[in-house]
Amino acid sequence: MSLMTFVALSPQLIIAFGLVLSMLLISWHRSQRSINILTQVILLFSLLLCARLLFADVAQVTPLLRVDGVGLYALMIILISAMVVVQLSYVLLKKHIEFHDEFYLLVQLVVLGASVLVVSDHFASLFLGFELLSIALVGLAGYLNEQKHSVETGFKYLILSATASSFMLLGIAFIYSQTGQLSFYFLPESSALSSPFYHLGIILFLVGMAFKLSLVPFHYWTPDVYQGAPTPVTLLMATVSKLAMFAVLLKCWFGLGYAYQESAQSVVLVIAILSMVSGNALALYQQNLKRLLAYSSIAHMGYLLIVLLLSSAAGESFAWQSMLFYFTAYVFATLAIFIAIFYSCSQQNSQVKNKALHTGFDDELLISDWQGLFWRSPLMAALILVSILSLAGIPLTMGFIGKFYLLSYASQTLQWGMIIALVIGSGIALFYYLKVIFVLFATEGGSKVSASLAIQARFLAITLISVSLFFGLFPDFLSQILQQLSIA
Amino acid sequence: MMITLLMVGLLLSGALAWYVEGKKVHSARWVALVSTVFLLVYFVLSIIFSSQQNYSELTVLTRVTWIDAFHIEYALAIDYLSIVLLMLTLFLAIICVLVSWHEIQEKAGFYYFNLLAAIAGIVGVFCAVDLFLFFFFWEVMLLPMTALIAIWGHEHRQFAAIKFFIFTQVSSLLMLVAIISTAYFHYQAVGQLSFYYQDWLALDIPLELASYLMFGFFIAFAVKLPSVPVHSWLPDAHTQAPTAGSVLLAGVLLKTGAYGLIRFVIFLFPEASHQFAPVAAVLAVVSILYGAKMAFAQTDFKRLVAYSSISHMGFVMLAVFSFNEIAYQGAIVTLIAHGLSSAALFSLAGMIYSRIHSRDLNDMGGFFKSAPRMGGFALAFAGAAFGLPGLANFIGEFFSLVGAFSAFPVLVVFAAFGLIGSAIYGMVLFQTTFQGPATATLSDLSLREIIISASLLMLLIIFGLFPNIILQYSHYIGVVL
Repeated sequence: MSLMTFVALSPQLIIAFGLVLSMLLISWHRSQRSINILTQVILLFSLLLCARLLFADVAQVTPLLRVDGVGLYALMIILISAMVVVQLSYVLLKKHIEFHDEFYLLVQLVVLGASVLVVSDHFASLFLGFELLSIALVGLAGYLNEQKHSVETGFKYLILSATASSFMLLGIAFIYSQTGQLSFYFLPESSALSSPFYHLGIILFLVGMAFKLSLVPFHYWTPDVYQGAPTPVTLLMATVSKLAMFAVLLKCWFGLGYAYQESAQSVVLVIAILSMVSGNALALYQQNLKRLLAYSSIAHMGYLLIVLLLSSAAGESFAWQSMLFYFTAYVFATLAIFIAIFYSCSQQNSQVKNKALHTGFDDELLISDWQGLFWRSPLMAALILVSILSLAGIPLTMGFIGKFYLLSYASQTLQWGMIIALVIGSGIALFYYLKVIFVLFATEGGSKVSASLAIQARFLAITLISVSLFFGLFPDFLSQILQQLSIA
Repeated sequence: MMITLLMVGLLLSGALAWYVEGKKVHSARWVALVSTVFLLVYFVLSIIFSSQQNYSELTVLTRVTWIDAFHIEYALAIDYLSIVLLMLTLFLAIICVLVSWHEIQEKAGFYYFNLLAAIAGIVGVFCAVDLFLFFFFWEVMLLPMTALIAIWGHEHRQFAAIKFFIFTQVSSLLMLVAIISTAYFHYQAVGQLSFYYQDWLALDIPLELASYLMFGFFIAFAVKLPSVPVHSWLPDAHTQAPTAGSVLLAGVLLKTGAYGLIRFVIFLFPEASHQFAPVAAVLAVVSILYGAKMAFAQTDFKRLVAYSSISHMGFVMLAVFSFNEIAYQGAIVTLIAHGLSSAALFSLAGMIYSRIHSRDLNDMGGFFKSAPRMGGFALAFAGAAFGLPGLANFIGEFFSLVGAFSAFPVLVVFAAFGLIGSAIYGMVLFQTTFQGPATATLSDLSLREIIISASLLMLLIIFGLFPNIILQYSHYIGVVL
C-alpha cells in the first residue's frame, strides 16, 4: 500500500484508530464527559479530512474500496449527523449514574460501517460495512433497558436485519454464480444476463437493501423500532444508516448496469410506488410522532427510488446529484425534527420526575404534546416548522429543491408513473404534515412541553433552520459542488 | 428594482409590525396601515413617473441569475395587465388592514406579518417571468394565507385550511411537473435549460405535448380560479377565513388563477388552448350556472358570496377562452370589478358578524331600520354583484358575453342565465338581511367602516361610468392576441 492509499482512506482510518483510542480511554479513565469529547473530536477530524479530500482524484484502494467525491460527500453528511447524535446521546446519558461508554463505541462502530459502505466497490466490502453497521445498531436499539419497548425493539431489529443480510447474501451468491465477479465495475457477459438466477440474484439483493431502507413491503419493522429505540438511535437509523445504504446501492446499481435491466426496473417501480403511496397513507392517522416520522421516511425512500431508474449512462451524474441533494435536505430536516422531539421528551420527563417518583424513562411524544408550542417557545416551533415544510417539499426550504431535483430527474427520464405517484403521495403527506403544523399554532391546550432550550440546543436549532432556509433560497452553492463531484 | 423593493417593503413592514406589537399593543395595525398606504402611493407614483411610459409590452425590470445549475433566473417584468392587478392588490391590502382593525385582537403582530407576507407573495406572482420563480411565489403566497385561515378563522378553520392547502398544493405540483417538462423540452430544442418566459414564447412545441403541458398549467389555475369541478375548497376557505382573509382570497387570490390562464396557458400554448377551448368554455358555463344556483341555496352570508365568486369567475374563464379582444377586455374589467365587489360584500359580512356574531342569514333581517347607511351600501354592493348598469361589474360581464358570443353562441345564451341567477341571489341576500321584521338593533357604520365601504363603492362607480380608465390599458392585452 502506498502513502496515497493511506491518505485516501484517512477518514475511515481515523475512525478505526479512534475506536482503539476510545477503548484505551475507557480503561484509563471512565467519564461520560471525556468519552463524549473524544468521540466528537474523532468525528470532527474525520469530517475535516473528508472535506480536504472531497475534490481529490478518485482513488482505488485495493479492489475492495474506491474513494470518490460522491462517497466522501455522503460520508460528510453521515459524520455531521453522527455528531448531532453523539451530542444528543450525551444529554440523554449523563443523567444516569452508571457509565455508558460502550454506547459511544457502538456509535463509532456504526459510523465506521457506514464509512466503509459509502466507498465500497465490491460486494465483500459492502457486506462487511453492512454487518458492522447493523450489528452495532442492534446493540444501540435496545440499549436503554429501562425504556418501555427496549427488548422488543432490539429483537425486532436483530431478526429483521439478519433476515435482510441473509437475503442479500443469497442474492450476491446467485449473482456470483452467474458472473464469477464481485466487483461493482464489471459488465457481465450476455450469457449471464439471460440466466434467471442472475435476475433472481439482483432481486434478492434489492430485497436485502429494501429491508434496510424500509421500503414497502419490507417496512414492518420501521414504526416499532423507530418508536422503541432511544431517540438518538432512531435518528442514527433514519439518517446514517439510510444514507449509507442508499449510496452503496446506487454505486453498485449503476456500476453493474442493473439500472438498465428491465426486470430490476419493474421491481423498483413497484416498490417505489407502493412505498410512496402506502407510506404516506399509513402515516395519516398516527398520533405518535416517531411512528409518524417512520412512515413518512418510508415514503421518502420511495421518492428516492426514482433515481434508480435510468435511461442512459448520461443520466448517472444527474441521478447522483438528485440523490445527494435530496438526502442532504432529508437528513437536515430529520435532524431538526428529532432534536425537537428529543428536547420535548426530556422536558416532559423532567416535569414528571419532579411531580412523582418515576423511575422509567418515557421516550414517547404525541402530536398533541406540541399544542400551541409556537406561542410558548418560538425557536423550537420554528425548528419544527422549517423541518416539516422541508419534508413536505414546500418552497423556501431545502426540501423543495430536493423535490425539484427528483421531479426534474423523473421528467428527464420520462417516468410518468413515478411522477403521478409522487404527486399523489405528497398530496396525502400534506394532510399529516399540516396537522403537525396546525398543532403548533393552536391556541388552547396542554402546556406539557414548553420552556427554554439549553444553549447548545439553541445553537443547533438556529444552525439547522438557517442551513435549511439558506440552501432553500440559494441552492446554487450546493448544486455546483454536487455537479463537480458527480461528474468526476 | 421597483417590484423587488415593493416585496421587500411588504415583508419588512410585516416583520416590523410583528416586532412592535410585542412592545406596544395595537401598534401593529398602524404599521401595517401606514406601510400599505405608503407602498401603494410609491407604486402608483413610480409607474407614473417612470422613465418608460409605455407598458403595453412586457417590460423586464430585473433579470439576474439565481440558480445557475438549472439556469434559473430572478426575473421580474410588468405590463399593463400586471400593473392593473398590482394596483388592485395593493388597494385591497389597505382594505384588508382596515377590516382587521378591531376584528383581530389575539396575536395581532403575527397576523399582520402573515397578511403582508401573503400580499408580498401575490405581488411576486403578478410579476415573475421566470417560471420557477413564478412557482416559488405561487407557493410562498399560499403559506401565510393558510396560516391566516388556520389561526384566525372561524369554527372549522383547520379543516378549511387543510382543504385549501391540499387542493392548491397538489394542483400546483402538476404545474411544477409541466414547468419542468417544458424546461427540458427547451433543453432538447435549444440545447440549454431555461425557465425564462420569453424563451418559452419562442418555442415551437408539438401539439400533442403542448396539450399535456397546457393541461398541467390549466389544472393549477382552474383550482385557484376556481372552476367546477375543482372548486370545492373555496366555499369552506371563504367561510372559515377571517374577514380580511376572505377579502384577500376573493379579491386577489382568485385573480392569480385568471392571470395565470391569460399569461401562461393562452400565450405559451396558443394552439393547445384553442383546441381545449370548448371544454374550458363548457366548464366555465357550468361554473356560472352552478355557482349561481348554489349561492341561491345558501343560508350562510359568506358562503353565499363565495359561491357567487365561482359564478363570476366563470365569466372570466369563458371570456379568456373565446380568444377575441372584446372578451379579453371584459375579462379584465370583471377581474377588477369582482375584486372590488366581493371584497365589499365580505367586508360587509365582517361588519355584520362583529355586531351579531353570526353569519347565518336566518339570524338576520330588518337591519335597514337601525342601520340605514349599512343598508344603503349593502344594496349598492348587491347591485354590483348582479351586474347593475352603472357599476363596474356590468361592463365586465357585458363585454365578456358580447365577446364570447362570436366564439360560443349557444354557450353564451346559457351563460346569460347566470345574470338572472345573480339578480335572484343578490336580492335574496339583501332582503333577508336588511328587510323584513327586525331581528336585532344594529349600530350603524363607524367612520372606519364608512371609509372602507365608500372607497370601494366609489371605485365601482368610477369604473362603471368611465370604464375607459381600464379599457385603454386592457386594450393592449387584447391586441397582442
